[in-house]
Amino acid sequence: MSENQLSAVETELYDRQIRLWGIESQEKLRAANVLLINIRALGSEIAKNILLSGINSLTILDDGIVTEEEQEKNFLLSKDSKGKKIAEEVLLKAQALNPLVKIKADTDSPASKDPSYFKEFTIIVATCIKTDLLLKIDKVCRANNVKFIFGDVFGTFAYSVSDFQDHEYHEDQVQLAGKKRTHEGAEKTTVKVQGVVNYPELKKVLILPNTKQNADCIKKSKRRNELFFIMLSLIEFRNKKSRNPSLESKENDIKTLQDIKKDIFQLYQVDETKSKLDADIFEIVFGEAIPVCAVLGGVIAQEVIKAVSGKEVPINNVFLFDPITYDGKEETVGV
Amino acid sequence: MNVPLKEAVATSKVLVVGSGGIGCEVLKNLALSGFKDIEIIDLDTIDVSNLNRQFLFRKEHVGKPKAVVARESILSYNPDINIKAYHDSITSQDYGLNFFKRFNIVLNALDNRAARNHVNRMCLAADVPLIESGTSGYSGQVELIKKGVTQCYECQPKPPQKTFPGCTIRNTPSEPVHCIVWAKHLFNQLFGEDDPDQDVSPDTEDPEAKIEGQEHTETESGNIKRASTRQWTQEIKYDPAQLFNKFFKNDIEYLLKMENLWKTRKPPVPLTWEQAASHEGDTAEEENNVKSQDMKVWSLSKCTKIFADTVGVLKEELAGKTFLVWDKDDKPAMDFVTACANIRAHIFTISTKSRFEIKSIAGNIIPAIATANAMIAGLVVLHAFRVLLQDYQKCPSIYLRQKSIHSKFVLAADKQIEQANPKCYVCSPQPFVNVFVNTQTMTVKEFETELLKKSLNMVAPDAILDGKGMVVISSEEGETEVNNDKKLNEIGIVDGSILKCDDFLQNYELTVAINHYEPQEKDDPLYKVVANPDELKAKESINGEKNGSEEKKEEESDEDDLMIVNELEDPQEGSSKRRKLNPPEDKDAEDDDLCVVES
Repeated sequence: MSENQLSAVETELYDRQIRLWGIESQEKLRAANVLLINIRALGSEIAKNILLSGINSLTILDDGIVTEEEQEKNFLLSKDSKGKKIAEEVLLKAQALNPLVKIKADTDSPASKDPSYFKEFTIIVATCIKTDLLLKIDKVCRANNVKFIFGDVFGTFAYSVSDFQDHEYHEDQVQLAGKKRTHEGAEKTTVKVQGVVNYPELKKVLILPNTKQNADCIKKSKRRNELFFIMLSLIEFRNKKSRNPSLESKENDIKTLQDIKKDIFQLYQVDETKSKLDADIFEIVFGEAIPVCAVLGGVIAQEVIKAVSGKEVPINNVFLFDPITYDGKEETVGV
Repeated sequence: MNVPLKEAVATSKVLVVGSGGIGCEVLKNLALSGFKDIEIIDLDTIDVSNLNRQFLFRKEHVGKPKAVVARESILSYNPDINIKAYHDSITSQDYGLNFFKRFNIVLNALDNRAARNHVNRMCLAADVPLIESGTSGYSGQVELIKKGVTQCYECQPKPPQKTFPGCTIRNTPSEPVHCIVWAKHLFNQLFGEDDPDQDVSPDTEDPEAKIEGQEHTETESGNIKRASTRQWTQEIKYDPAQLFNKFFKNDIEYLLKMENLWKTRKPPVPLTWEQAASHEGDTAEEENNVKSQDMKVWSLSKCTKIFADTVGVLKEELAGKTFLVWDKDDKPAMDFVTACANIRAHIFTISTKSRFEIKSIAGNIIPAIATANAMIAGLVVLHAFRVLLQDYQKCPSIYLRQKSIHSKFVLAADKQIEQANPKCYVCSPQPFVNVFVNTQTMTVKEFETELLKKSLNMVAPDAILDGKGMVVISSEEGETEVNNDKKLNEIGIVDGSILKCDDFLQNYELTVAINHYEPQEKDDPLYKVVANPDELKAKESINGEKNGSEEKKEEESDEDDLMIVNELEDPQEGSSKRRKLNPPEDKDAEDDDLCVVES
């Protein structure tokens, strides 16, 4: 039996998902080595879902310490985790989710890592990091054919951004054989359809445009889902303040966010008076709503599975979760 | 979370019905969001195939009750929550109106329509808001049900479940699924409980096979032998060669004599035991890894060998018992069905399938994954927040769809909540329904089981014949058993009769109008239920919804995450047109040749 073949134990455990995405996808998952940067409320949701899916290994990179608040929001922690290193504290419960996956904890600071560290993985998933680090990792990923996805939850707003480079995928389409419908109904056949999605590098998504150089990019963004600008505003806030908006400084933070948003609207030449967004949109971006972490954790893990298995159409390239209507939409940015 | 929501969450009492795929996720979300008072009910026990998504369970929990283990797991994350677990069925009489009234909100995480219908009625009766949810593969949905505000779970007729005409199974299979259904019936004929609807021999009543003006004569191979198949099998001591030749040679030869059937079809080729066992083109492969056993299509000679082997094993299992119950997870039973389905498929030149694929179809397995459950469970709790603040208008249904190249939506929310159907036979002020039955042949017991329980989803119905005030069906033991075997017309239930039906547990009263009806065509259902009289004429003429067929597929899937995914309308932004998000998976929904059963 070759190394990539599934054992009887695995086919029994993964039976229901193999029936959905097929044995080849499961074998690719089994060979995948995943790096997860930061395992907080959203990170633990992602970890749960990808551990359950049956990857080869998961490396958890997080230099944080467990606070009381963190412990209450994170189901991979327990009461006596407080004050200890978060990456190590989640290990026990993470491993229990799937004993077949190799899990490692790394308590270094993600920013301190040498670029070569990021080369070794099949895919990297990041949460709660700043733009400079995102771009640094993306550069390594592109040079070494490592897929990359990151996302965040701000209150009930959530997003993810993917860079799967030139990603080849296939999907099964069910077709009726021939046009003739007999008494018993036509026989169905499943056809494998292939495609490619070309992802732009992250700097084209995240770096704010310079009006002179990026006339095209600005033109394209005129009909953007406005939540994309909210996403940019929140990332910019984090870049500037090295933290997320906090209830302790709510009024000031909302003002800062409004100012950032105003600048971004100007840069992208969006007419603020025609904006469909609630004026008080930033009221709902504090903390992390647990159920929204569950939703985005599901979305990101599903994209990881698609990226690794090459099965099904992935989101290209931004996913935006509407904090009011709960719609979740794809937005293609930077192409 | 704002202050009113925090308070509402901390003081609310929540019931979670089902602790499977969605249930585990919902429980975790509730516990982490600050809910303090949760009750959980599930009658199921943990299976290995649950562990890829029901993350509150581990290998050492296999075989234990889901509700109990889920409670323990949650308490290990957060010991400060009050959780009560019931290892029981929610449809049990122990969970009546007063039980439901104790909750501020009920969250469904169920796997079958019967239980969903029941909880829907209980929540309407108790006037407790209900959030209904389900997933199937990559898809899923979340829906609020609140009496007087939204539609109820039964307002819209659900897509019927697919079944097949008996003669297709017995005489003219054309798809692998027909052979698989036949193979399961063969299992029951040889080892299972006797069911005359599951005959496997040629059907001489097939109207298509009849020659004008000629009455068929009953022959050895035809229907006349039905009753004695089991007896004959025992007489020949389950000799595999003789069994094989009967089902795959003699019966096929008999079918070939029904010449009309083969005028437009490719005729089957009878196969003898000797031919099959030494079938050419088979290489003697003796691989034993999972892939070759499960994923590869077995050769004809391998099918034949497995047929013989499993007949032997099953015969031993049957010794001392009255009958065996087919189970997809029982190896010899599943192997037997795989072998027989493929042998029959070979005879009819239908494509053969791997054991893995046949298990999906025979076991009616709906694939389920962690990610879809996580997303749906997240949305369930987001809706729960708004419901607790009585912000019902902000809880329209949300659909999770498989991403396609043509659609930007992953999660699509309706623009507004759906209004109740004024003619709904469950939630309208005076529920009313028309039923079409053969009042001369249907017994009172059949009426109770098939119509009131299976079709209309009552649990413990009482029925009074209007005008005469006579109790014809009673939920009290011993009161009306004397009526059981009588035909409907013998106790005065005839065309035009009105029955006042009542389910005390569900607090549900339904007026049933009886229409005498006799099936005309071979594919006509044995009975029909029509909620909206306006639909009657249209339905009749287009041969639409049908109930009660000869051949039934399993009514429930074995999964805890099952839902029937309706065709989804895509609320595209900036466009007045509504178009479909994804083409519906081809389920032959438009194929009106199929008999269908409402579960």
